[in-house]
Amino acid sequence: MTAPAVDLRQITKQFPGVLANDEVDLTVDRGSVHALLGENGAGKTTLMNVLYGLYKPTSGTVVVDGQERTFDSPRDAIDAGVGMIHQHFMLVEPMTVTQNIVLGNEPRKWGGLAVDREQAREAVAELADRYGFDVDPTATVADLSVGEQQRIEILKALYRGADVLILDEPTAVLTPQEVEELFEVFDELTEAGKTIIFISHKLSEVTAAADEVTVLRDGKNVGTVDTDDVDDTELAELMVGREVLFDTEKSPVDAGAVGLAARDLVVEDDRGVRAVDGVDLEVAEGEVFGVAGVDGNGQSELVEALTGLRTPSSGRVALGGTDVTDESRRQRIEDGMAYVPEDRQARGLVMSYDLTENGLLGSQRDPQFADAGRIRWDDAETHAEEIVAEYDVRPADAGAEARSLSGGNQQKFIVGREFAREPEAVVASHPTRGVDVGSVEFIHDRLLDLREQGAAVLLVSSKLDEVRSLSDRLGVMHDGELIDVVDPTEVTEEQLGLLMAGERPPDVPRAAVRAGGDA
Amino acid sequence: MSALKRFGLVAAGPLLLGAALLIARLFPETAAGELASVVDGPYVASALRLSVPIAFAALGGIFAERAGVINIGLEGLLIVGAFVGVAVAHWLTGDAGVGVGAGLVLLFVVAVGLAITGAALGLLGDSLGEIALRGGGGVVATVALGGLTAAVTGPTLAATWIAFYIAVLVSAAFSLLFAVVTIEYRADQVIAGLAVWLIALGAAPFASNVIWGAVNSPGVDTFGTWTMPVLSQLPAVGSVLFDAEPPVYFVLLATPLSWYVLTQTSFGYWVRASGENPKALDTAGVDVRRVRYAAVLISGMFSGIGGAGLSLGRVGSFVGSGTTMVDGRGWIGITAMLFGNYNPFGAFGASLLFAALDALQFRLQQLNYAVPDSLIQTVPYVTVIVVLALVGRTRTPDAAGEHYDSDED
Amino acid sequence: MNPDRLPDSVAGVMGRLVDASAGERLIVSVAALLTAVLLGGVVTLVAGMFAECSALFCYNPLAVYRYLFLAPLFDSFVLQQTLKNSALLLFTGLAVAVSFRAGLFNIGTQGQLVLGALAAALAAIRVGPAAPEGAIGGVLIAGVAMVAGAVVGGLYAAIPGALKAYADANEVITTIMLNFIASDVAFFLVSAYFQKPDSGSVETRDVPAAARFGPELALLLAVVLVLLMTYVLWGTAFGYDLRTAGIQPDAADYAGVDAKRMVVTSMTLSGAIGGLGGAVWVLMSVGRWVNGVPSLGFDGITVSVLASNNPLGVLFAGPLFGSMQAGSLSIDFQLGVPRQLVGVIRGLVILLVAMPEFFRTLGVRWGMGGDR
Repeated sequence: MTAPAVDLRQITKQFPGVLANDEVDLTVDRGSVHALLGENGAGKTTLMNVLYGLYKPTSGTVVVDGQERTFDSPRDAIDAGVGMIHQHFMLVEPMTVTQNIVLGNEPRKWGGLAVDREQAREAVAELADRYGFDVDPTATVADLSVGEQQRIEILKALYRGADVLILDEPTAVLTPQEVEELFEVFDELTEAGKTIIFISHKLSEVTAAADEVTVLRDGKNVGTVDTDDVDDTELAELMVGREVLFDTEKSPVDAGAVGLAARDLVVEDDRGVRAVDGVDLEVAEGEVFGVAGVDGNGQSELVEALTGLRTPSSGRVALGGTDVTDESRRQRIEDGMAYVPEDRQARGLVMSYDLTENGLLGSQRDPQFADAGRIRWDDAETHAEEIVAEYDVRPADAGAEARSLSGGNQQKFIVGREFAREPEAVVASHPTRGVDVGSVEFIHDRLLDLREQGAAVLLVSSKLDEVRSLSDRLGVMHDGELIDVVDPTEVTEEQLGLLMAGERPPDVPRAAVRAGGDA
Repeated sequence: MSALKRFGLVAAGPLLLGAALLIARLFPETAAGELASVVDGPYVASALRLSVPIAFAALGGIFAERAGVINIGLEGLLIVGAFVGVAVAHWLTGDAGVGVGAGLVLLFVVAVGLAITGAALGLLGDSLGEIALRGGGGVVATVALGGLTAAVTGPTLAATWIAFYIAVLVSAAFSLLFAVVTIEYRADQVIAGLAVWLIALGAAPFASNVIWGAVNSPGVDTFGTWTMPVLSQLPAVGSVLFDAEPPVYFVLLATPLSWYVLTQTSFGYWVRASGENPKALDTAGVDVRRVRYAAVLISGMFSGIGGAGLSLGRVGSFVGSGTTMVDGRGWIGITAMLFGNYNPFGAFGASLLFAALDALQFRLQQLNYAVPDSLIQTVPYVTVIVVLALVGRTRTPDAAGEHYDSDED
Repeated sequence: MNPDRLPDSVAGVMGRLVDASAGERLIVSVAALLTAVLLGGVVTLVAGMFAECSALFCYNPLAVYRYLFLAPLFDSFVLQQTLKNSALLLFTGLAVAVSFRAGLFNIGTQGQLVLGALAAALAAIRVGPAAPEGAIGGVLIAGVAMVAGAVVGGLYAAIPGALKAYADANEVITTIMLNFIASDVAFFLVSAYFQKPDSGSVETRDVPAAARFGPELALLLAVVLVLLMTYVLWGTAFGYDLRTAGIQPDAADYAGVDAKRMVVTSMTLSGAIGGLGGAVWVLMSVGRWVNGVPSLGFDGITVSVLASNNPLGVLFAGPLFGSMQAGSLSIDFQLGVPRQLVGVIRGLVILLVAMPEFFRTLGVRWGMGGDR
């Protein structure tokens, strides 16, 4: 019986204040696809970083191919045949595919004075052929799609002789189509004798692609099962540790007039490429309009155009019946537009400010806190304290620096601040990213409260469950267009997946525009 | 701005020069003809010569910034190179001159100092053998170069050359200080660069005062010119390109060499990766820290060549009053680098453009035009501002200015 | 200072300033200054070996320190110089601090000061004859001069500000270039149009004596300005916008700050303060514009960096450097140590303050401080 490709025994990893891995055992058979499942913060990435030599375990042993190993750096891991493809690619964008793959191991000529580019190109082409990859060795990485870039990362690992491939959340930025292609690649690789470990928090993908799955929770291995023997609900329970409710209570609300609208909106991204290509949408007062889609299809630019952070090339934006296209960001805030931004650490908060100062972000001229430009710090502090109390932000200290809070608490504060505006319209972009499950429910309830109070809510999220359960109508964005607007209760996952990939499946249950008043 | 526009602006320099030559030749009596007559052989030669410190600063800046370290202190490094060159040359050949032998000893000492520092920083290798080989080899090569130069040239010229080598090493040492501060202690690169500049700006006239009692040094011998046997007889180009001071030859060599290193060698790949995505380089198993140190050291050495080339090339002394003889060329070099889009050839072209304006300004002053000197002097600086306004957002390396931590336990 | 006993507005502002990491920054600043001065002493000692004299060490670092820091206490001339320098450094230090807070490296305070000074001198000379006699006239002239200085300084800084905001031109280089241009242009203007007749140097006529004042008044003005700026930065929405734009531009956008306008406005404000400093230099120190303006702009950078770009910190760092600058002349005349030593120390201070990691490592090694 051959030794398992990877055998992690009693791995413990302690960070100051956090026990990331707690005596974890993990055995992966050669030639198999093994998934590592768990919530954010469960310790999956840490464990794989130990395997990859980025971290040294506090205790425990790493056994690769039957031999005990100590890795001082990823170089050692690569020498042992372990390669990792990170969630954020390690590619040098302006350089070519070949240059990226051979980086660090460049074939030389002329006694080492120059890189042998022909040899490099041939080696890459041969490798791609062997594993059935379709790549152009001379292409510049910046020009490739996300899926293609990921395949370059895999080739990079293979070039360096990896037998075990670790992939960290590989499907996070792929369309359902590209996910399929990736799983096909898995098949090719395992047929060639490679072993695959991939980290995920998406149940459906785990059951589809993996032979075995190990579930981590709070740093511990809570179970390894064959994917054939288990169903989604069981896995989810293992992941979260309690019975998970997939439904949210939503009361029917009569939609009012148009609260937020975009007409024929065309927005260019930083490179001058059309990211939003003629989008029409209307959100009624008292309605949640969800926008689903894979990251990078124009959602960010759409949100930026609506909130005033980016000027559209053409088209109009309306808030509560008034055309606000030419209004500045500041004016839109004053008009009652709340915005929970996608990037909380760059946009939503100033990390070195305390919560009181962060509470003013956007409201620094609001008469609630300032007279004619003079800030009243007591009122600002009270405001921050109220948000902290209501949204259970921890630590409950308005004087705490934003950077000292965990991601989830930072997000809660931002949501609290924005929702406290009693806004006319809310644009929420991935509002529960990185938030612990309990707080996710809280935020969802608050969002629905706003809906009941008559706000127009635009919800952009890549979490399909969230966007389906909260939305009254669900739009799907692909390649800058709003492909379709569907009824979230009736539409199926397959239909959604196809829409997200840009296809138009038949018999999709559409959602009628609900706004009263002029359209 | 688009590549075409940029190419147009860089090519404008040589094109204008060519047009001026034509006008002067065809219409000598007109005002335009008189102005254009400023452009002649000696003018182009002086433009080339003036481009040396600017271009070397730019080339050095390219290495450093493409590796991710914004080296704003290039002006300071030029000052260091210019001063040390003259100071050592004077020490060797001045009134109380100690002779070439002492120069070789000093060269040895400085080289050893650099080698030891490099070893202490962990830059020379992981094993004792590697360190000894690289460090020792470097010292031996340096002293051998010095000895060879002394043997080939006469005693006074040898002193100038050895002073030159020492200036390059000292400038490199200064840049090493900058590297340590920014890479080890994660100082803000812009502020650290400004600090290096201000330190040099103070230290050079200070040392000058201490040694000679004045901010300007006494004279020393310059390199003289190298006249290439057959090529210098070529019409027009001959006297310009093949009968020039050594620093001019150096810059004409350094430009294509830099391009070659950056695009054709492994080290060049690593430099570019270090500035765009150091994490990618790290996981590829290359020591990002060493690459960045090397890049900054290159910028120091280049600046040393540029600075010493300035003081020992034609002038033969160090002028430390006001903004020193370097007079902002380091800043212009940085602009040339941006203008040339971090490409060695582009940076050289841009440097030549600025130098041409500088030479023009000198010439116009000599010719006593109606426009007052002080205003003419502003031409290079105004041009820099105009260029920066037009060039706008260049494609700076993604990770430039950011500290890199390989996450260790 | 007990926050509870102060009026709310002030307490609120104070609370903003004294945050957790301020203490650490103070320690780093002090340590950096001490280290730089120490290194300066080493440089002095070593340099003394190369100078011409009979002994091995020609310069005595301790004597240097005495002159640099204690001279104001025993030499009234040096004291006067120190007061004057301090006042001027408060202006330039504040000017730099404001721009650095906005995230802009305004290295052009020197040029803004030079042109502001010229504008002030010319305005004072022009307005002089028209003003009433006596103190009132003097105040009027001085007022007009200072306004002129501030306006011209502000406009001159608005240029690199606009270039940065609308053409993305690197402000470090543009401001440094503008420094060169400012001295050349000022030289030209004075020598061509405003030259004092029968004078050997390039200078304007003297400003009316009534408009001149002493360092005490200048210091008072400076302190008032510092306090005013402190209030603006931490007590107003504009200040909030400026600081946020300097720390996290993305968050500032999010909060509705017009980024481009803020760049221009903050540069203009910084330049106006610098130009005001130039006016004070004319009215207080030299009584006219004369070629060879002292490097107050660059020293302002040192002062601001040492003060962690905090206006209140400038109140301490300014006089410290003022003393050193005043002392630099003494060390030259009395000890023969070239005055550029202070320039070297200036650079060392900035270098050391820029690397807090260095002191943190030292502190850990010497067992200071708790966990982070």
